[in-house]
Amino acid sequence: MNIFNKLIFIIFGVCLCATTQAKINVFTCEPEWADLVRMLGGDHVKVYSATTAYQDPHRIEARPSLIAKVRRADLVVCTGAELEIGWLPMLQRQAGNSRIQRGQPGYFEAASFVERMEIPEKIDRSQGDIHAFGNPHVHLDPRRIIKIAEQLSFRLQQLGAEHSDYFKQQYTVFKTKWLDNIKQWEQSAMPLKGKKIVTHHRDFIYLFDWLGIQSAGELEPKPGLPPSPGHLSRLKQSIKQDPAIAIIYTPYQDTRPAEWLSRETGIPHIQIPYTVGGSDNANDLKGMFTETIYALLKAMQ
Amino acid sequence: MNIESLDLSILGPAFITGCIVLLTHVPLGREVLKRNIIFIDLALAQIAALGIVVAHVLQLEAHGWLTQVIAITSALSGAVILNWTEKHWPNVQEALIGVSFILAATGGLLLLAHNPHGGERMRELLAGQILWTSWNQILITAITSALLLAAWYGLRHGTGHLRFYLVFAIAVTMSVQLVGVYLVFASLIIPALATRKYSETKSTLIGYTIGAMGYIMGLVASAVFDLPTGPMITWLLAMTALIFYFTPSRRINTH
Repeated sequence: MNIFNKLIFIIFGVCLCATTQAKINVFTCEPEWADLVRMLGGDHVKVYSATTAYQDPHRIEARPSLIAKVRRADLVVCTGAELEIGWLPMLQRQAGNSRIQRGQPGYFEAASFVERMEIPEKIDRSQGDIHAFGNPHVHLDPRRIIKIAEQLSFRLQQLGAEHSDYFKQQYTVFKTKWLDNIKQWEQSAMPLKGKKIVTHHRDFIYLFDWLGIQSAGELEPKPGLPPSPGHLSRLKQSIKQDPAIAIIYTPYQDTRPAEWLSRETGIPHIQIPYTVGGSDNANDLKGMFTETIYALLKAMQ
Repeated sequence: MNIESLDLSILGPAFITGCIVLLTHVPLGREVLKRNIIFIDLALAQIAALGIVVAHVLQLEAHGWLTQVIAITSALSGAVILNWTEKHWPNVQEALIGVSFILAATGGLLLLAHNPHGGERMRELLAGQILWTSWNQILITAITSALLLAAWYGLRHGTGHLRFYLVFAIAVTMSVQLVGVYLVFASLIIPALATRKYSETKSTLIGYTIGAMGYIMGLVASAVFDLPTGPMITWLLAMTALIFYFTPSRRINTH
């Protein structure tokens, strides 16, 4: 295999140097960060996302290509706050790439740059899948995305110093457009304010925090645990007394508990993109937010 | 196609892990087939997994060795019980093994009912994460496997059943945490099945070859087609064995 490797290296080596060497190789854990890196890095980054919207970022199947991609990465962008604790540390160890280890400029933990909700006062395992660093699903708040984008742009400027002006420019353009988008989204989502929604997992709290939506509970009895009969029937009682406008879940979650609750209560159940690629219209971050708000408004009618 | 994944430093540790697992599992698999207790590895692996779950529930993972002690003790107790049942109810041994398997599996589910990472842990034990094995784990497993092989071949004329069950329990407890239940089953049964008509030494040697070929091709296929490694190796092990079994030259050799 060594000879084979060398052969490949000789064949592709030249073109690699000519084309991709100048680009920053970025490995992202989730598709939302891949899109953000593409927006901020433009022509000077090459991005690969380890998971798609149809995969649960909490867990992943080990494939040799993942190790190979991390080995060649100049920058690893993940959510952090223990979301990928089940696989990322092993991937980093196995890849043996010193540039992307924790604490290095090549390791970027998005959640560490924003204020997180639900940081537990004490860690008690009986509470379910509680993350010591708070709820990690920060990408569903576009205001937090701006803060993360700013830091990510700094990081790109640091790693690709020869293009730092370009990266600065990209961020400025992004920020202007994004602030406009936020205004529009907030405007159209006005009717959702104060409304109640049931979720499968506690993965929409940042969206709710932003739009002033209230959580009417989760299908999971505790974070990470599958819905149990007792919990579902209690949930059914509580939302019968105090109706929610929708029961929502992500593309990778089991639809059956939501369908059951929807049948029992008459409240519509809808799949929300959750991240980039989660529906046909959610092919970038902007599309994802537009689609999410559109879907929730539609459920109210 | 993912040529960049064809890297010896990525696939190498996984291949060595596979070879170490094969080292004990090929001869043990022959014995399993001979005794007609095919599902014993599933049962013992699941009982070992139950031990790991118990350690998890008792929050003992911080002490890695304690988890191992509990897992091996569980598998050994399972082995002792199954050894006893083989003596007293030999006719229904396979059925009892089946029942132990489902009890261990569902016991794990009950214990993990309130544990959010339980599902992942159970799935990991089934499909395995052979790519994540570290050199440390490989070293420990290699040493233990060498000791087990010595016990297996060294004590041949000593105690019969119990020796088999004890060696088997330790081997499976170890390998299941490295490569998962599916690959343990495949490494045990598939080479033994393909070479069952040969004399013991020949069968073991050919079994090793088939096993090693299956692991190499499975790893390469997993890298090239970008598919999960454990399941891919399982399939290529089966294919290698099939091709070997139906190759005409084999028939000439046997006569």
